[in-house]
Amino acid sequence: MPLNPFRASALHPATWWFLGLGLATIASLEVSWLPEVLVIFAAIVLMLTCRENAPWSKSVRFYLWLGAFVVGVRLLFRIIFNSGSTDSAVAFSLVELNLGGVHLLGQVSWLTLEAAATDGLRLAAIIISIGMANTLANPKRLLKSTPGALYEVATAMTVAINLAPQLIESLQRVRKARALRGRSQGISSLNSIVIPALEDSIEQSLGLAASMDARGFGRRGSLTKTQLIATRTLSLGGILLIAFATYFLLATQSQMLAIAFMVSGIIALTLTIRIASTRNLRTRYRRQKPGIKDFSVIGITLTTVVLVVIL
Amino acid sequence: MIKFRSVGFGYQGAESPIISRASFALNAGEFALVCGPTGSGKSTLLKLMNGLAPHFTGGELSGTILIDGKDVTGHKPHELAELVGYVNQQPEGSFVADTVGEELAYGLEQLGFSPAEMELRIARHAELVGIAQLLEQPLASLSGGQQQRVAIAAAMAAGQRVLVLDEPTSALDASSAAELVALLAKLAKEQGITVLLAEHRLERVLEHIDSVIVVNGDSSVVKSAPREAFKDYRLLPPVVELSQRLKLEPLALSIEEAKRGIATPLAFSKRPNQVIGKQTLAVEKLTVKYGNNVAISEVSLNARAGEVVALMGANGSGKSTMLWAIQGSGARSGGTISRPETTLVPQRAADLLFLNTLAEELAESDKFNEVEQGQTAKLFLELSNRTDPKQHPRDLSAGQQLALVLAVQLVKGTPLILLDEPTRGLDYEAKRHLVAAIRLMQENGRTVLVASHDIEFVAQIANRVYVLEEGKIATQGTTEEILGATGLMPTQIAQIANQPGLLLAEQIGDREN
Repeated sequence: MPLNPFRASALHPATWWFLGLGLATIASLEVSWLPEVLVIFAAIVLMLTCRENAPWSKSVRFYLWLGAFVVGVRLLFRIIFNSGSTDSAVAFSLVELNLGGVHLLGQVSWLTLEAAATDGLRLAAIIISIGMANTLANPKRLLKSTPGALYEVATAMTVAINLAPQLIESLQRVRKARALRGRSQGISSLNSIVIPALEDSIEQSLGLAASMDARGFGRRGSLTKTQLIATRTLSLGGILLIAFATYFLLATQSQMLAIAFMVSGIIALTLTIRIASTRNLRTRYRRQKPGIKDFSVIGITLTTVVLVVIL
Repeated sequence: MIKFRSVGFGYQGAESPIISRASFALNAGEFALVCGPTGSGKSTLLKLMNGLAPHFTGGELSGTILIDGKDVTGHKPHELAELVGYVNQQPEGSFVADTVGEELAYGLEQLGFSPAEMELRIARHAELVGIAQLLEQPLASLSGGQQQRVAIAAAMAAGQRVLVLDEPTSALDASSAAELVALLAKLAKEQGITVLLAEHRLERVLEHIDSVIVVNGDSSVVKSAPREAFKDYRLLPPVVELSQRLKLEPLALSIEEAKRGIATPLAFSKRPNQVIGKQTLAVEKLTVKYGNNVAISEVSLNARAGEVVALMGANGSGKSTMLWAIQGSGARSGGTISRPETTLVPQRAADLLFLNTLAEELAESDKFNEVEQGQTAKLFLELSNRTDPKQHPRDLSAGQQLALVLAVQLVKGTPLILLDEPTRGLDYEAKRHLVAAIRLMQENGRTVLVASHDIEFVAQIANRVYVLEEGKIATQGTTEEILGATGLMPTQIAQIANQPGLLLAEQIGDREN
């Protein structure tokens, strides 16, 4: 959609995730079908109007089908495992089966259907909200916002994410090619398709790694001795603090203590990442900073979630 | 700029080293071609420049390599990133970012340039290679030629003085390849960048290069001036073959030089182009749609027994789609196809190989095709040179892999054979084997339909040519009409001699002294 003024890249990818999670939260808190439908509607409208022509944007249909499937399965199960309640108007009745005390099918009331549909819609709304974030947030741009010390790990993750579709493509290609040759019996079809496709993917990943290395990926400065000691102490301390916090939370009643330990643990780990990031020589091209648009979207989302909780 | 002092490289346990005692030097602004048969070590030589060999490939390096006065031996690729830019065969496989601008920025980010400096350099290098208007575009939407330009700009944006390219034109059609090579020549001449280019299709680069580095495959590496290198070189582009046959002195390397040096008209023998067989393949108004995308639109074509028909046209014009539709496993939305039993050899021949040794593949083929034991092996020997049967099929050269797949597929003896871009990655030697194989099929009365954008190859084998353009037949005719002097895509010899019916150097006999 090149002529679209509402482009997904106008907002920071983290904002899209915030919005997606916010919508999912609202969906999970609501108890009637109308708000769920509204959430789904909002997510779909956003997906269709803001999506860009990018590989990660092509899964809209998948999320919609998954949502519809969830609603369908929910309804079907309710109809099959129907407890036979007759407290409201009957929608339709089916032959009741009695299998050793378990009642199947039978009379289905409007109320049962509505409850099942609402349940299904709630799940669908959560799936589609998350799907919206996934469709609109550019994973690589999100990567740019990770702190320097985690850059290598984050890169490995994005490469892995990008590799999955490529592997599927290789599999399809090899399978198609294999059909041209045919094979005599006794040769495992799994080996003959999976091995060439895997080899292909590994070769491609090595090619990518070589290209990244040739362009300077993997360079780093060094830390001073004090920085080194500081990062080691802080990271160890942080992990210990969080372990204690978990213990207090699960095994004792002292929740305040748990929270205090948790917060100080997180602070220690954040500091570690901060210090470790200084040895990073990398600079960023057009780093996207959250702007007024992002803050207003986050503000509105927060307000709505709070309102839903209170009301 | 680059100095090799007695450089050797090899793998432990291998019989002979890949490169031994290589000594040569390249100046700033020199455009050097690296050539040699497949598997001779061209890629390895290129990878030595920035440490990818031995750091990515394994193996042992001896001797000294100096780049810009710095001893680079023992350094890792990322330590040499601002010295040497590296571009490989498939740009789409080495892209890291989503958009052109971000891709150009990637190397600069790694090397720690400030954002303002990055903007400046990206703009300048995009301008230099002619992609300035594409900066915001997603990489996936670019053509192959544009993608290679992006890869080149990205490889030199940090101010690298050496540019190393490993067969960058292998996936491009003739005109985008010519543009790319001209761009590299311009970068060498105007920017003073030392360019090292590995390339099979010498005819695409000869007129631009300053020197040739021949990697012989017997571990010797020799650098010389182009004229000297090709005086008695075995793997030849048509221009050079012509000047060799005519004993031209000095050797002509470009079409312009040959035009000046050769007195026309030349005496030549006609290409045999008689087909008397019955019609075997008839395609009527074939249409292939993917959703709303029309890949093939109402294409009709036919072929007879003993005929070789070529499908030509730019990348994405629908050549492969045609072949797969004719074979039957590709999509078809309309039209009729009447064909005999058919065999297709796909573009990536190696996809058909799945066993652990060459011998197993050959035996499996005999078993599956229910032919006498050893038949496939016999055919393979006709198509290739002797090869160790214990070798893993993936370790064979591109030419040997193709020969193996051809043997496996041809042993069935089907009357119609479809070949999809069979010369991709083949050197002249392997191509010669392939041409001989196709001529043999033709003699045996089989029909061959081949999709290719290799003009010289098609001129050697085809009786007729269909040119596809955006899924439609743009023009069709005999090979003489399409690839001859007045045709749409004249061969090098046709351009030089400008005589109707003269397409190939082999049509001209060797001149006596």
